[in-house]
Amino acid sequence: MIEVKELTKTYKVGSDIIKAVDHVNLEVKKGEFISILGHSGSGKTTLLSLIGGLTKPDSGTVRIDGTDIWSISDNDLSELRNRKINFIYQFASLIPTLNIIENVLVPTAFRPKDEPINYYEFAMELLDIVGIKDKARSYPAHLSGGQQRRAAIARAFINNPEIILADEPTGDLDEETEAEIMDLFKRMNKAKGITFIIVTHSSDLARQTEKRYRMANGILKEEA
Amino acid sequence: MLSVMVVAATLFSVTTVMDSVETSIEKGTARLGADIMVVPAEAEAQAKTALLAGEPSTFYMDRSIEDKVRKVKGVKAVASQVFLKTAQYKCCSVGNMLLIGFDPKHDFTIMPWLSKELTRPLGTDEIIMGRGLTAYNVGSKIKFYGKYFEVVGMLEETGMKFIDNSVFMPYAAMKKLAEESKHKKGVKAANLPIDKISTVLVQVEPEISPQRVAIFIEHDIPGVKAIVSEQVISSVRKQLFVLLRSILSISIILWIMALLLIGVVFSMIVNERQREIGLLRAMGAKKSNIFRLIMTEASILSIMGGIVGIVLGGAFLYAFKGFIRSSLNIPYLWPSAAEYAVLVAGCLLLSFLTGAVAALWPAIRSMRMEPYEAIRRGE
Repeated sequence: MIEVKELTKTYKVGSDIIKAVDHVNLEVKKGEFISILGHSGSGKTTLLSLIGGLTKPDSGTVRIDGTDIWSISDNDLSELRNRKINFIYQFASLIPTLNIIENVLVPTAFRPKDEPINYYEFAMELLDIVGIKDKARSYPAHLSGGQQRRAAIARAFINNPEIILADEPTGDLDEETEAEIMDLFKRMNKAKGITFIIVTHSSDLARQTEKRYRMANGILKEEA
Repeated sequence: MLSVMVVAATLFSVTTVMDSVETSIEKGTARLGADIMVVPAEAEAQAKTALLAGEPSTFYMDRSIEDKVRKVKGVKAVASQVFLKTAQYKCCSVGNMLLIGFDPKHDFTIMPWLSKELTRPLGTDEIIMGRGLTAYNVGSKIKFYGKYFEVVGMLEETGMKFIDNSVFMPYAAMKKLAEESKHKKGVKAANLPIDKISTVLVQVEPEISPQRVAIFIEHDIPGVKAIVSEQVISSVRKQLFVLLRSILSISIILWIMALLLIGVVFSMIVNERQREIGLLRAMGAKKSNIFRLIMTEASILSIMGGIVGIVLGGAFLYAFKGFIRSSLNIPYLWPSAAEYAVLVAGCLLLSFLTGAVAALWPAIRSMRMEPYEAIRRGE
C-alpha cells in the first residue's frame, strides 16, 4: 500500500548539507502497525512528512495505493491527504480559537459538501471514544496536555483515514495516558484496518508495534 | 481595521461634502432656470454674492433692458425680477429678507419648481417661499410693510440661499405693496423704484452657448453685466475643490499608508499562523482554501473598519453640519438617500478593496508555503 523507494531529502544549514533522509526504502502493507525508532535529528519526522506529502523529496518516490504522490497536482495531493492520510503531532496542534468539537471537524471542511455523513455526530462519537465528550464545547486552552492530544487524535480519525502518521503521539504524556492512547490505536488498527506509522524515540512504545524500524543519520533499517 | 476606519471616515466625509456642494450648485442653478443673469454692470459682485451666499442686496436698472435682452441673438426666453429688501421694523415679520417680484406671464424660474403645483394664478396677497424659511409653511401668514400675505406655495430646497431664503410674489403685488406702504401709518415705506428691474434671467437657444450669448448681450446693451450661471458654478467649484482636493489628497496618502500597514499586519499574521496554515494544509486544505481564508479575513476586517468609519464620518458631518454650512458660505444641500447610498456603497467597496489588495501578497505567500516547512517554522 505504501511504497517508498530511494527517498532522499537534504537540507542546507549554513554551508553544510545535511541528509535528513538518505535513500530510504520502505514498504508498508494495508493495516500494518509499524514504528520508526530514532533519536532526535535522525530524520524520522522528515521521513514521515515525505510519506504524508507535506514536503517534497530531492529524489525517490512515495507511492500510496500505486499513486506516486509527487507526480500528481497539488490539489490532488491535498485531496489525497484529506481522504487517506491523517497526522498526529507531538505538539499541541489544535486551533486555539476553535472549540474542541470545531477542531475535530476541521478536516471535514475540505471534504465535498454533498457527502451524506453526519460529521457532527461522528465527531461526538470520536470524542466519546477518546474520553473527552464532555469537553466538546471547551477551548483548547482549558484542557490539559493529555486532553488536547486526545482531541487531536479524535480529529485524526474524523475523515476515516486509511493511514495515520503519528509523530511522537505520546511524547510528553504520562504512562497511563500513553497506554490508553496506544490501546486506542491498536483498536482502530484492528477494527478499521487503519495503517499506522508511529515515529518515536521510546523503545517501549516501539515494542508495542508489529514491525519496528530504526533510523539514524537519515538511514532506515528494519529491526529484527 | 483602525486604519481602514480612518480612511473610510475621511473619504466618506470629504466625498459627501464634495458631492453635496456639486449637487447643490447644479440643482440650484437648474432651479434658477436661467443660463444667464443680466444685472447692472456695477452690481456684478453683489449679484454673485446674492446668488451664491444669499446675501440680500438690491440693485436696479431700467425696465427697458428686458426688451433689449429679448432681442439679442440666441436668446430664447427672458424673465425679469425685482428685488426688495424687507425692513427691520415692526412693519415686517422678518427683516433683511429678500422679496423677489417676478412676472408670472414670462416666468420660467419660480412656478415650475413649486414642491406642490399651483394651478391658479397668484393673488396680490399671496406669496411663494423658499424652503430655507423653515418657520413658515403653506397657509402661514407673514407681514411685509404692514400687509399680511398668505404662503400658498413652497419651493423645493435648492441649497442656494438666494432661492431658499427669498420670498416670491408677482411684480404687480410688489408694486401694490410698495404703493400701499407709503400711505400706512407707522410703516416704513418700501423703497421700490418705479419702472426698474433688478435682473433679467435669460434662457438661451439650445444651439448656441450661453457664453456667446452673454458676449452679445454685453455688446448690444451698454451698462449691463451678463453673468453666465455655468461660470459662477465653475469658479465656486474651483475654489472649493482646491480645498477639498487637498483633503482628498491627504485621504489618498492615508489610504496608501493603510494599504501598507494592513499588508505588514497581515504578513505578521501569516508569520504567526504558519503552523496553523501548515496544519490545515496537512488536513487537506488546498492552496486556494488558504488563499480564500486570508482574503476573507482581510475583507471582513476591512469592511467592518469601513462601516465604523462611515458611521463616524456620518456622525462628524451630522455634528458639524451647521459649521460646515456656515463656513463654506456657498450653496450646500445634504445628499439625498440615494446619493448617500451610492457614497456608502463606494466607501464600502473601497474599504473592501483596501483589505483585499493589502492582504493579496501575504495570502499568496501563505498559499505557497510548503506544509512541512510552515509547521516547522511555526513551532
